[in-house]
Amino acid sequence: MTNNTNSEDRPRISVASKRIMDFAEEVNERSHANLMACLQCKKCTSGCPVAARADLRAHEMVRMVQLGQRDQVLQSRMIWECTSCQTCATRCPQGVSIAAMNDTLRMMSREAETTFAETTQPVFNDIFLRSIRRRGRVYELGLMAAYKFRTMRLLEDVDKAPTMLIKRKLKLLPKNVRGRAERKRIFARARKAREQT
Amino acid sequence: MSYAFFPGCSLEGTAWDFLKSTKAVARKLGIKMPEIEDWICCGSTPAHQSDPLLSLALPAKNLLAAKGETVAVCCAACYSRLKTANHEISSDQLLRKRVADVVGADYDGQTPVAHFLEILVNDFGVGKIAEAVTKPLKGLKVVSYYGCLLSRPPGVTKFDDPENPMLMDRVLKAAGAEVIDWPHKTECCGAGYGITDVSIVKQLSREILGMAKAAGADAIATACPLCQLNLDLRQGAIEEAAGEQFDLPVFYFTQLLGLALGVERKSLGLKSMIVSPKELLDSRGIGV
Repeated sequence: MTNNTNSEDRPRISVASKRIMDFAEEVNERSHANLMACLQCKKCTSGCPVAARADLRAHEMVRMVQLGQRDQVLQSRMIWECTSCQTCATRCPQGVSIAAMNDTLRMMSREAETTFAETTQPVFNDIFLRSIRRRGRVYELGLMAAYKFRTMRLLEDVDKAPTMLIKRKLKLLPKNVRGRAERKRIFARARKAREQT
Repeated sequence: MSYAFFPGCSLEGTAWDFLKSTKAVARKLGIKMPEIEDWICCGSTPAHQSDPLLSLALPAKNLLAAKGETVAVCCAACYSRLKTANHEISSDQLLRKRVADVVGADYDGQTPVAHFLEILVNDFGVGKIAEAVTKPLKGLKVVSYYGCLLSRPPGVTKFDDPENPMLMDRVLKAAGAEVIDWPHKTECCGAGYGITDVSIVKQLSREILGMAKAAGADAIATACPLCQLNLDLRQGAIEEAAGEQFDLPVFYFTQLLGLALGVERKSLGLKSMIVSPKELLDSRGIGV
């Protein structure tokens, strides 16, 4: 679309700007984050606990989503460094739910398979949710073991295990809640609804 | 006073001392909190990072099981997820229907949810707590650490002032402690990254420990299993890396209140604390 002097009445937008709108609109629609209201006041970043270490800061993320910079945003380390502390959303004078936007970006990043390579949070999330589906509750020792094998971070924090066991902070046996078949149905229906939208 | 208690997974594992001390305090004060039958995990962070509908369906299933009774919660993460589900389901009819389709039953988002701190202050009353105190925590300087999810986002949790909450301060003051004002009440400790990216936890928790020390505290009081674990379990490694000594025992507020109500130390799970509070409590003559 290079024709800038078009004779038709309705305004035309370029393919590039359509792509920008698509990304921003999708994020906004899925997160209800109201992100087009952002004024770039940086109040979010000022209170963000991980701003000093992040590759992208909160207000920059919002701007980049507005500008349709899909790849940079979805590949960023920041979406996996955000602690979901909600300080940004609490303080935003425009009512932008940046934390909610970030949850949507996490999902989109996984859907696009462009997740920041070094994060293990998605693996952890999957194991955690599987534990709920199977047992109803999270079995911490089993969760840790599964996570360590999946990520091959076998030795990280092993020095903490004896302390945790002595302090009875890790239960040796899991507890299983009744209703596994029903939980499986709930998870399956949620998955189906997610895939349909 | 009776509530439907939702303990959450942490209170069955890493935070068993939070459960034990909560039950001890409730018993002393005559607050009944029978557990919701067959409760399941609220979904916590992994659910809201992965699947919006599931992150509402899991709380909805538990809230339905409470059969309309006010749900009592101790874990800040569970509290946040249950409150978020209520907020979203009650304000969006279409979403309510979609959640109902996933759960297999309609939930209206109206079952009240209260953190144990809200129950103590708003329902029971600090005046009555002060009357029940038999062993005031005299000379114990403590900072109240609320973390993120009790007070944020305020439109959802409606807990207290989001920047300067006071509920825990008031409970501990009623328990006779010297509660110190400090600026890090609601700073983030790094939360769930204790497993997937410890560097975040070490950095953020160091700020909190350092500020508590600078404020002149003997100990930190918490109301969240992840806050307690991060500040307590990681304290040694943080001290080593920072070349500083904090020596700050990290209590659950229920453990401190329990001591003031005359509950024995061993009935409050104090042995589970990694930074031992023994020396501090002995020197102040608190608890037996």
